[in-house]
Amino acid sequence: MKNRLSRLSIPYVIWMALFVVAPIVMIVVYAFTAAGGGFTLENFSRMGLYGVVFFRSFRLALIATVICLVIGYPVSYMMSREGPRFQRVAMVLIMLPMWINFLLRTYSWMSILENNGLLNQLFQKIGLIGLYNSLFGTNLTYFPMMNTQGAVVLGMVYNYLPFMILPIYSVIVKLDGSLIEAARDLGANGFHVFRRVILPLSLPGVLSGITMVFVPAVSTFAISKMLGGGTELLLGDLIEQQFLGGAYNPQLGAAISLVMMVIVVVCMVVMNRFGEGEEQAVML
Amino acid sequence: MKRRNSVMSRVFTALVFLFLYAPILLLIVFSFNRGNSNTVWTGFSLDWYRQLFHNRLIMRSVYTTLLVSLLATVIATFAGTFAAIGFYSLRRRQRAVLNTVNSIPMMNADIVTGVAMCLFFVAFFAFWSSFAAWFNGVQHIVTLPTRLTLGFGTLLIAHVTFNIPYVILSVGPKLRQMDKNLVDAAQDLGCTWMQAFWKVILPEIKPGIASGALTAFTMSVDDFIISYFTAGSSSSTLAMTIYGMTKKRVTPEINAISTLLFVTVLALLVVVNLREAHMERTGQQERRPRSQRLTHFFDSPRGRWVRRGTAGVLAAAFLVVVVLLTSATNAQPVVNVCSWGEYIDEELITQFEEETGILVNYQTAESNEALYSLLKSGAGDYDVIVPSDYMISQLIEEDMLSELDYSQIPNFSLVDGRFKNLSYDPENRYTVPYAWGTVGIIYNETMVDGPITSWSALFDDQYAGDVLMFRNSRDAIATALSYLGYSLNTTDPSQLRQAFELLRDAKSRGVYQSFVMDEVFQKLEGGNASIGPYYAGDYLTMLENNEDLRFVVPEEGSNWFMDAMCVLKNAPHYEEAMAWINFIASDEASMANMDYIGYASPNTNVLENYPAYYEEVYGEALDPEIYEIMAAPAEILDRCEAYLVLPPDIRTLYNDLWTELGI
Amino acid sequence: MSKELIRLRNICMAFDDELVLNNINLYINDKEFLTLLGPSGCGKTTTLRMIGGFTTPTSGDVLFDGVRINDVPPHQRQINTVFQKYALFPHLNVFENIAFGLRMQRRPDPADPRKKVKIPEEEIRERVMEMLEIISLKGFENRRPDALSGGQQQRVAIARALVNRPKVLLLDEPLGALDLKLRKDMQIELKRIQQQVGITFIYVTHDQEEALTMSDTIVVMDKGSIQQIGTPEDIYNEPKNAFVADFIGESNIIDGVMVHDQLVQMYGRQFPCLDGGFAPNEPVDVVIRPEDIDIVPVEQGQLTGTVTSVTFKGMQYDIIVDFKGFKWLIQTTDHSPEGARIGIKIDPDGIHVMKKSQYSGMFGDYSSFSDEYDELDDAGLEPDEEESGDEE
Repeated sequence: MKNRLSRLSIPYVIWMALFVVAPIVMIVVYAFTAAGGGFTLENFSRMGLYGVVFFRSFRLALIATVICLVIGYPVSYMMSREGPRFQRVAMVLIMLPMWINFLLRTYSWMSILENNGLLNQLFQKIGLIGLYNSLFGTNLTYFPMMNTQGAVVLGMVYNYLPFMILPIYSVIVKLDGSLIEAARDLGANGFHVFRRVILPLSLPGVLSGITMVFVPAVSTFAISKMLGGGTELLLGDLIEQQFLGGAYNPQLGAAISLVMMVIVVVCMVVMNRFGEGEEQAVML
Repeated sequence: MKRRNSVMSRVFTALVFLFLYAPILLLIVFSFNRGNSNTVWTGFSLDWYRQLFHNRLIMRSVYTTLLVSLLATVIATFAGTFAAIGFYSLRRRQRAVLNTVNSIPMMNADIVTGVAMCLFFVAFFAFWSSFAAWFNGVQHIVTLPTRLTLGFGTLLIAHVTFNIPYVILSVGPKLRQMDKNLVDAAQDLGCTWMQAFWKVILPEIKPGIASGALTAFTMSVDDFIISYFTAGSSSSTLAMTIYGMTKKRVTPEINAISTLLFVTVLALLVVVNLREAHMERTGQQERRPRSQRLTHFFDSPRGRWVRRGTAGVLAAAFLVVVVLLTSATNAQPVVNVCSWGEYIDEELITQFEEETGILVNYQTAESNEALYSLLKSGAGDYDVIVPSDYMISQLIEEDMLSELDYSQIPNFSLVDGRFKNLSYDPENRYTVPYAWGTVGIIYNETMVDGPITSWSALFDDQYAGDVLMFRNSRDAIATALSYLGYSLNTTDPSQLRQAFELLRDAKSRGVYQSFVMDEVFQKLEGGNASIGPYYAGDYLTMLENNEDLRFVVPEEGSNWFMDAMCVLKNAPHYEEAMAWINFIASDEASMANMDYIGYASPNTNVLENYPAYYEEVYGEALDPEIYEIMAAPAEILDRCEAYLVLPPDIRTLYNDLWTELGI
Repeated sequence: MSKELIRLRNICMAFDDELVLNNINLYINDKEFLTLLGPSGCGKTTTLRMIGGFTTPTSGDVLFDGVRINDVPPHQRQINTVFQKYALFPHLNVFENIAFGLRMQRRPDPADPRKKVKIPEEEIRERVMEMLEIISLKGFENRRPDALSGGQQQRVAIARALVNRPKVLLLDEPLGALDLKLRKDMQIELKRIQQQVGITFIYVTHDQEEALTMSDTIVVMDKGSIQQIGTPEDIYNEPKNAFVADFIGESNIIDGVMVHDQLVQMYGRQFPCLDGGFAPNEPVDVVIRPEDIDIVPVEQGQLTGTVTSVTFKGMQYDIIVDFKGFKWLIQTTDHSPEGARIGIKIDPDGIHVMKKSQYSGMFGDYSSFSDEYDELDDAGLEPDEEESGDEE
C-alpha cells in the first residue's frame, strides 16, 4: 500500500528538477561561459582578485556567527528552564520581529548608529563624547559607528540571532529530564551536567543554528550596503553588482556564486562530520 | 523540578530581548512623529497613517506581498504535505537523495537561489519565445504569447519553491512519529485510501502542517533577496519597496504600515495563545465534543455536501484570483516607467492616471549602469526609461530602443531647439528630453572650513571620514578625471588607471565614509556626512530639509547631463508610453516637475517662466543663485562636458576598475 | 466448526529477491483459533498481513470462502485486525475509535436495496456500547487513547475490530507490550471473547506458551516455511523436527539411531520407545522432554552423568546434567547437589523419535543454557521483521 503513496512525491520531484536543480545548473553553465558565449575558465582565473572579498565576508560572517552563538546559547538554555508560559511567550517574542521586514529593522539601526543618530545624540547629552575628548585629547563630535565593519556585524547578529536561538532551544527543550537526573545521580554537579550531558546533546541544534546564521550572513548584501556604507564590498554585494548593480557581468557573478556555494557546502559537510543527525534539529 | 534561573541570567535574557526590540520600538514610536525624521521627535501626529492610504506605491506593494505570501503559503502547504507523505513512503535511499535536493533552497544562500532562478527564468523565456513563434507559425488555432517576462508569476513560483521545504521539514517528523499501523488500521476498518488520508493521516499531522504553513508565510513576508531577483519590474513586494526607499529616505508611512502589520500579528498571536492557554486550563474534555460535532457534521450527507462545496468554492475562488490577476494586468492599460529616485512630482502620476485611465507602474533604478543591468538581465521589463545621454547612445548602439512616434507626441515641439538632435540621438528619432543638470559638490557649510571650490575636497585627508562618493563607476571616475584635468570621455587606459588609483588611494586612507547613490539625501540632510558629489537638482531637494547645505560646480569643470525619455524595443505598452511621454513633455507637467525635482526643464517656456511661476506659487521671488544652480548659465556650462558613449573595451575597463575599487 | 474459511495455496513472497515466504499451504476453519507461531523473521506477520490484505503475495492464491481475494483491498475484506501496538487513533476518543469502522460502512437500504446507506447513529451507539460492555470498559468512552493503560488500549483495539462483526479477526502479537500478569489475564480474556463472538481468530505470536494456552490449531513457522501444523498437544508431544521440538517447550535433542521399530540407540545404549516407521539403522533425532526424565540412583540408571548446575524454579528444580559432554536439562522435584553423579531413567513414552532434518544438531544442547535467552533474542530481532514488512 505504501508504494502507492510514494507516487505523491512525483509532482514535487518534477517541481524540484525544474526550479531547484535546473537553476543551479544554469549557474554552473554561466560560470563557464564567456561574455560573448563559448566555454571559458576566465571567470575563475579572475577570482584571485576577489580573494580579499571572500576573506572579508567569511571573516565577518564567522564573527557574527560566534557572537550569535555566544548570545543565543545561554538565552535558549535559560528559556528552556523557565515555566511553560514564559517559554511560549518567549518563542512568540523571538519569532515576532520577523514580521517587520528586516530591511526596515536594519534601517532603524541606521538611525540609531548614524554620526548624528540617536545613540550619538544620547552620548552628546550625557557628556560621554566630551568626556572621551578630554580623556584622550581628541576632538570628536560623534563616535563613528556607522559605515564600519562593526556595524555590519551588528546588523548580522541582530537579524540572524533568532535563527540561532530557535534550533538550539527546540533541541534543549526536548531533552529528557531523566537524563539530567541520571547525571546528577551519578555524581555530576551543575556544571558537569551541562558540560557532559546537555551540551553534547544540544550539539545538533547548535550545528543547525550555525548553518542558519552563517549562510545568510556570508551572502548578505543589503546589510552591508546599509550599515557598511558600501566602501568595503561583501560577497553578496559583489554578486548583486554583477547582476542588477553597476557592473553588469552575469558570467562573473555566476562564477562567484558557484565558488561561494562550493565553499559553504564544504564547510557544512565538514561541520556535520562533527555532529551527526542535524535532521532532528529543524527549526520550530 | 526544573531549577530556575538566577537573577543575573534573567537580566541577560531581558537585555537580549531589548536588543531585539529596540529598533522595532523606535520604528513604532517614529510612526507617530509629526516630522519625517527618524531621529528627531517633533510631536505626536497620526498623519503618516492617514497618508499611508494615499500612497499607491506602498499600498500596491503591501497588496502584492500579502497576495504572493498567501498564495505561496497555500500552494506550498498543499504541495509540501503531499510531497512529505510521498517522501515518507519512499525507500530509504531514494528518500535520502530527495531530502538532500529538498534542502538546497533552505541551505543555499538566498542570493544564489535568487540569481539562479533569475537566470533560469530568463533562459526559459528565451526558449519559450522561439517555441511560441514556431508554434504560432505551424498552427493558427491557439496563439501563444511570445513574450514572457519576470513578474508576479515568477515571484510566486520562487516563493512556492523556497516555502515547500519548510512545510516538508515540519510535516515529515510528524509522519515519522505516527504509528505506522494507523493507516493499515483505517483501511482495515473500511476506509479507502483517500478516506484513510482524510480521517487518520491528516488529523495526525495537522500540527505539522499548521506550523509549516506559518513558517512558510513568515518566510514569504520576510523575504527580500529572492523576490528582488525574480519579481521583475511589474510587481514589487513591500520589502522591495522598502529597499528602494532605504536608498534615499524611508518615508514614515513605511513605519506606519509596519506598525500596523506588527500589531495585527501580535494581536493574532496573543489571541491564539490565550485560547490555547484557556483550553489547557479547562482541560481537554471540552475541546473534544466540538471537534466531534464537526466531524459528525461533515460526515452527515448535508455535511459532505458542504465539504465538497467548500472545496469547490475554494478551488473556484483560487481560479478567480488567478484569472483576475492575469486579466488585471491585461485589462487595465498600464505603462511601466523606470526613472531615478526623487525625479518626479508624484502628483503628476495621479493626474495622468485620472486623465487617461492608464495605470502607471513607476519604478526607480539606482544609476545608468544599474538600469543597464536591469534591462540586460531581464529583470527590468519597462516601457519608458529615462537614461542619461551616454547610456542612450549605448542603448541605441545595442538596438535596445524603439523609435518614437512623434505624431503622438505633439508636445515635443515645446522642447528648446538647443536640446534637440543632441549627439546621443543626432536625428532625434528615439528620445524626448526630460531634464538636464550638472554634477557638483554638495557640502555642509557648518561642517567645513570655508567654501569648497575644487574636486580636491573629495581626495584630501582634511575631511576624511566625512566624505561621500558616488556608487557608480562613470560618475565616480569622472570626479577623479575632472580633478586630474582629463576629459571625462577619455579612452586612454592609463588616464583611467590614474583616476582609479586616485580614488583607491583616497579610499584606503579612509577619506570616504560610504559610497552612495540616493542614500546621499539621508546622509547629507541628517548631517551624517559633510561633503558629497551629487546632482544639482537633488541638492535643491536636500536644501529644503537642511539649510546649511551648499552646492558648487568645481572650478576644474564637471559633467552636464541630459536625461531623456526613451521607449524600449518591443515595449508591450507602446501607445501608453507615447501618451505618458507626451504628458510629461507638456508645459504644465514640465513646470510642476521642474519645481518639484529642481532640475532644469528642456522646455523653452518653462525655463523662461519658472521664476515667475515660483513667485506666484510661493509668494516670494526666486533666489537667482538657486535658479543658476537649476539651470546652469553658459559660463558654467562652458567648463562642463557631457558624457559620451565609450567603446566596449573601455566600458569593460570601467566595470573592472569599479569592481576592483569595491574590493 | 469444521467448515473451511480461508485457504492459502502455494504462497510465495519475496522482498528484494529475498524469499520471505516459501510455498505456504494452509487452510483455516471457521470459528477456529489458529496461531501462527515462530521466531522473528519467520514470515508469520507477513502471512497475517497477506490475509488482511496489506500485502499481496508474489505468487499463489489467497482464498476466502473459496473466492480468490489476492487483489481485494483491506477495506473490502470481512476481516479485521488488531495491530501490534494497537494503532488506536490518537485524535479520537474511545467511542469514536470503536465507532470508526461502523461510520465507514455502507449497507443496502432496507427500504430500497439498490441504495446504500450509512448505519444509523442509534445503531452505532448501541453496538459500540455493547462492545464496551464486552471489553468491560463502560464509562471510558470519552477518554483519549493516551489516557488509557496498556491493557485498556489493548481491549479498545479488540473492540474496534470486533464491532464490525468480521468473519475473521487477525491479531498481530497483541499482547507483546503488556506485562506478564496482564498478558496471562488477557490470554484468558481473548479466548473468552473468541468463544463469545464465535468467529475465527488468527493470532500471531512468538510466545509458545501463549500459543499453547489459547489455540485450537498451531502453525509453527520458520524461515518462511511451515514446520508443523497441529493441535497444541500434537505439537508438544509429537514435534516433527528439532526446530519444533526446541521452539515448543524445553527439549533435549540427542543424535540416535533407530535400530528397528520401537528401539532406539543413544550413547551406545538401546532404549525402548513407541515410535516406528523408520528404516533399520536410520540416523534420527531423539527428543526427550526435561520432565519425562526420572532421576534414579547411579546403579539403576540407563545413563549416568554429573550435575553441573541447579536452579530453583518454585515448582521444580532445573538441573543441568553432563552426559559425556552433552548437557541435558532435567526438571525434577528432587534436589540433587551440584557435582553429584546421578543416574536417569526414561520411560518408552517419554522418548520421541524424529527424522533427521535441516535443523538436526542445531538445538537441544544446554551448554549455554540461559532462561532469558529466547526472550532476549526475540525482542532484539522483532523490529527487523516489521521493517521488512513495510518495505513492500
